Amino acid sequence: MSNLIEMSRITKAFGANVAVRDVSLELKSGSVHALMGENGAGKSTLMKILAGVHRPDSGEIYKDGEAVSFESPRHALDFGISTVFQELSLLPNLTIAENMFLGREPVNAIGAIDYRLMHKGTQKALGDLGLSLEPSTLVSELTIAERQFVEIAHGIKADAKIFILDEPTAALNAADVEILNEQIRRLKADGKAIVYISHRMDEIFEICDTVTVMKDGVHIATRPLSELTPESLIAMMVGRELETLFPEAGRAGDSALLEFTDFKLTQDSEPLSFTIKAGEIVALAGLEGQGQREIVRSAIGQFVPYRGTISVRNQTVTLPVAESSGVRSLKALGVGFVPEDRKEEGLLLSLSVSENIELGIHSSRSAILPAQRLRDTVKQTMESLGIKVAGPTAPVASLSGGNQQKVLLGRYLALDIDVLIIEEPTRGVDIGAKAEIYRLLRNLADSGKAILVLSRETVELIGLCDRINVVHDRTIVAEMPAKNASEHKILEAALRQYETENEL
Amino acid sequence: MGAIAANPVLQRAIRVPPAYLVFAVLLITLWVTKPQLMNVNVMGIFIRQVAPLGILVLGQLLVMRVRSIDLSGAGVLLVVNYMISSGIMGDVPAIAYIAMALSVGLAVGLVNGYLVGRRRVSAVIATLAVTVILTGIIQFLASGKPPGDMPGYFNDIYNTKIWIVPTPVAFWLLLTVLMSLFLSRFVFGRFIAAIGENPTASHFSGVPVERTVIASHILASVIASVAALVQSASVAVGSIRLGLEMPIDAVAATILGGVIFGRGDGGVWGPFFGVMCFALLFVVMTSFGVPDPGKQIARGLIILLAAIFYGLSSSEK
Amino acid sequence: MATQSFKTYFGRNSRQGLWYVPLLITVVGAVILTVYTDDFASPQNLSNLLSQAMPLIIVAIGQMIVIVIGGMDLSVGAIISLTTALLALDAPAFVLVPAVFAITALIGLVNGYSIVKLNVHPIIATLSVQFIVVGFARILRPVAGGSVPDIVVSCVAGTVFGIPLTVFWAVIVLLLGWKLIHGSRYGLHLFAIGGGVSSGQEDAAHNFGISDQRNVILAYVCSALFAALAGFYIAGRISSGDPGVGETFALDSVTAVAIGGTQLSGGIGSLHGTLFGAILMVLLSNGMNLANLSAFLQGAIKGAILLLVVSLQSRKKMGL
Repeated sequence: MSNLIEMSRITKAFGANVAVRDVSLELKSGSVHALMGENGAGKSTLMKILAGVHRPDSGEIYKDGEAVSFESPRHALDFGISTVFQELSLLPNLTIAENMFLGREPVNAIGAIDYRLMHKGTQKALGDLGLSLEPSTLVSELTIAERQFVEIAHGIKADAKIFILDEPTAALNAADVEILNEQIRRLKADGKAIVYISHRMDEIFEICDTVTVMKDGVHIATRPLSELTPESLIAMMVGRELETLFPEAGRAGDSALLEFTDFKLTQDSEPLSFTIKAGEIVALAGLEGQGQREIVRSAIGQFVPYRGTISVRNQTVTLPVAESSGVRSLKALGVGFVPEDRKEEGLLLSLSVSENIELGIHSSRSAILPAQRLRDTVKQTMESLGIKVAGPTAPVASLSGGNQQKVLLGRYLALDIDVLIIEEPTRGVDIGAKAEIYRLLRNLADSGKAILVLSRETVELIGLCDRINVVHDRTIVAEMPAKNASEHKILEAALRQYETENEL
Repeated sequence: MGAIAANPVLQRAIRVPPAYLVFAVLLITLWVTKPQLMNVNVMGIFIRQVAPLGILVLGQLLVMRVRSIDLSGAGVLLVVNYMISSGIMGDVPAIAYIAMALSVGLAVGLVNGYLVGRRRVSAVIATLAVTVILTGIIQFLASGKPPGDMPGYFNDIYNTKIWIVPTPVAFWLLLTVLMSLFLSRFVFGRFIAAIGENPTASHFSGVPVERTVIASHILASVIASVAALVQSASVAVGSIRLGLEMPIDAVAATILGGVIFGRGDGGVWGPFFGVMCFALLFVVMTSFGVPDPGKQIARGLIILLAAIFYGLSSSEK
Repeated sequence: MATQSFKTYFGRNSRQGLWYVPLLITVVGAVILTVYTDDFASPQNLSNLLSQAMPLIIVAIGQMIVIVIGGMDLSVGAIISLTTALLALDAPAFVLVPAVFAITALIGLVNGYSIVKLNVHPIIATLSVQFIVVGFARILRPVAGGSVPDIVVSCVAGTVFGIPLTVFWAVIVLLLGWKLIHGSRYGLHLFAIGGGVSSGQEDAAHNFGISDQRNVILAYVCSALFAALAGFYIAGRISSGDPGVGETFALDSVTAVAIGGTQLSGGIGSLHGTLFGAILMVLLSNGMNLANLSAFLQGAIKGAILLLVVSLQSRKKMGL
């Protein structure tokens, strides 16, 4: 077996956040290479570099021993690298066939697109996957699983040598997964190299030959799967001691501050309920895309759940709420929502630190009132959060990620809310600032507030929170006190192994 | 391009509204070539000419700060102008005209606000269509002929002076100061700044985005009706010509003044000087004998160059 | 299986928007006019109607090309005016005609380049270019007048084998439009770019390997060239230059395209929808003329129709 592709010492940073650091990877023809790691470990970024979506900051890619660099996805495809990405990138207003052939459509004698040929090719590619979808159906009319299959068909139809499958099974059920596995075995038999990213252990052990584990953007190990068991693989993925990063756990009060009751995300999902008391920090954990984000965003009207109620203290809100007023009505009840995407959804980057902090207070008031001078509040907030900046008039864009996150938190601190819902509290924040943010959140809880945290970093949830709710398939499948939790347990619960193990 | 992003001096320079520079250049040009024009009386007349435009700009900058645009000012202008000069309101005191103008502004603003803020119609298309509709109706009512004379007292007020400042200019200055205070000292101003910077983040911060956009459009149209009153006072005879020049000039002056689709680097005074540029520009062009079409080309070039200037500086981010 | 054949039928077709609505209204309107007026259905009147509709059909096809990618071209009216003004210059046709198309292509290039490379909003870019172009048209020809070369007139007026030349124009323009929009890879790529824009995944088309920047610039060149073609046709009809003749075409073409079921947010639309939209607009003018409605009121009604049609289309983005 020869090395088809070798990625050597690849590093890629987005701003201050290093997504991939000095990672090397070798792909052999006729082999399926699993890439594993927790959410945010850098797997997708590494694969996007191979697919020509991102350019590496440093490092080389060798194909058959020769250095290559990809300017664009098209360029990478010309080199024989075909990708099925995790997020759907099909164009909804084009048909299946048009999506399948986009960018390299066959034309007939008069230069028009040869739909007959395209439909035939599409039908065959879909047929190989056991699908009988009509090629002239618009993608916007397909279900999520059908779209996923079209995406897979698009990826593996290409006459490529290397196939990257980034969580292709996220939206598929067991029977569908078997169809896909059949195709992967076929590709393998044809001497192709396949990179397979998945969180499902059974799939990994069934079809992969080698596994590379990544964590925090760093290469941990590469082993043949025959040497591993699911347990030892999970241990490799988790494998690090808890840093002295986290503040001491607090003491929960008696009064329930935030309650989700009889909540159903979609019509066919299991109902869920949970309560957060004053002084508590509670997490929603789980693998990417299991519905945790939709659950919290239902509270501000960004997502329309099937049904449910939210109670803050004793005031009850029946879901769904209107998107245009969701944030405001929640805020009126004393709940702050800190969105994940600090730059797009959270901060006003060219505005000053004080304007960003003040906005929370101002937006609770009527537009025609004079804007209060809040110099003291801003000063106090900045001091209590330890925001390092030249002055309150500095634009937020000039701050480091950690200080930006503190400014965002400061907006809610200055508002004096009772409940904080926070997504990814430390995304793109360096380790020192992380510790500070954890302490700030704990102090907030200790002062009698309730905090709901959503994070992809399991370590963070264990260290920071009092209780952890594990979300799988749009509902809560396990609840555990953080002091009994481990990354291993959470991962297993998220992979739906937790319950069965407990029964044994 | 990367060099600009890296250099803090250049980065600051690129945020200074072009209006100040253009104004200085035009002033010097005028001083050197036509020194006889540089006296208080003559300049007063020039500046008085752009007072309606200056007032219109106060509304335009508001909607452009929230990433919208308002081209319905032309329609408001026409309606108010017609209502006053056609005599269909009969012999009424000035206050009735003012009330009429403000209600026209309010009504148009409500329509614009609903279409842009609630229905999410493209602001250019919506406000342009409103102008086309209003123009058609007024031209129909006037049967295509100029309606008649303006009441004399309008023009009398227009020609007065407060000390050495023509009254319309003083009024314009007063409104500019008020708008400046409204934007800097009131919660509304904070909302405008936040939405301009990032509507999504503003929404997540609890800013009522939709309501603020609608309110901006209503305010802009009411301000347009005030501009229409001043404009009506400046002419002796009513007109029904479809004229997109005013709102387009307002857009150009606003962009020149450093305010464009969300960015408000120029505040209120940047666009103020943008309008002053237009005052001088018309004088310079007229004194050099540039014909009307030449002015139109200049108008287009100014908008395009200013937009390119901001397009390039915002792609640095 | 019934749903399958249903999907087969409506699959690619449902990307074409609600084109049958203007068709239906046109047919109903034509039937009413045939019944209530004496000579609506006469070959003479239909031929007149077609030649009235021709310029709008041509411009609307170009307008549709940029609207499909989520853009808009407000300079098309100015380009029509400039074309007639250029053609009425005192120079031989073999100089004028190539010059017209070269200059208008350049205008399209300026539009496209400002939008794609200089990051200017399409509406602002084309609106300011409109002023510049009209300015030049007015310098060349301050008031309507002059005369265009005979060859231009004979390309438009007259008949061949007893069939009016306008019919040939219609066939050629529609074939050209069909080829560009529905019959080529370029057309599909336009829909792909527009679909990406309207669904908030601007990079999607690029990730499929489509050179989106070049395609977008080319789209604005196309719309400018179609406007020039319309200007050529009008110049042939009026056999003179008129710097104001194109004034209403910018908004009228947007209205025609929108009536034809093309989404202003991009990605959905069809050539035949645009054709029916343009015909419906002209039929409406025709009907309003027959009803002796004031020209001013007709303008207001057209504005109201535009407002109605665009406010029925849903859009996520607020503002411009």
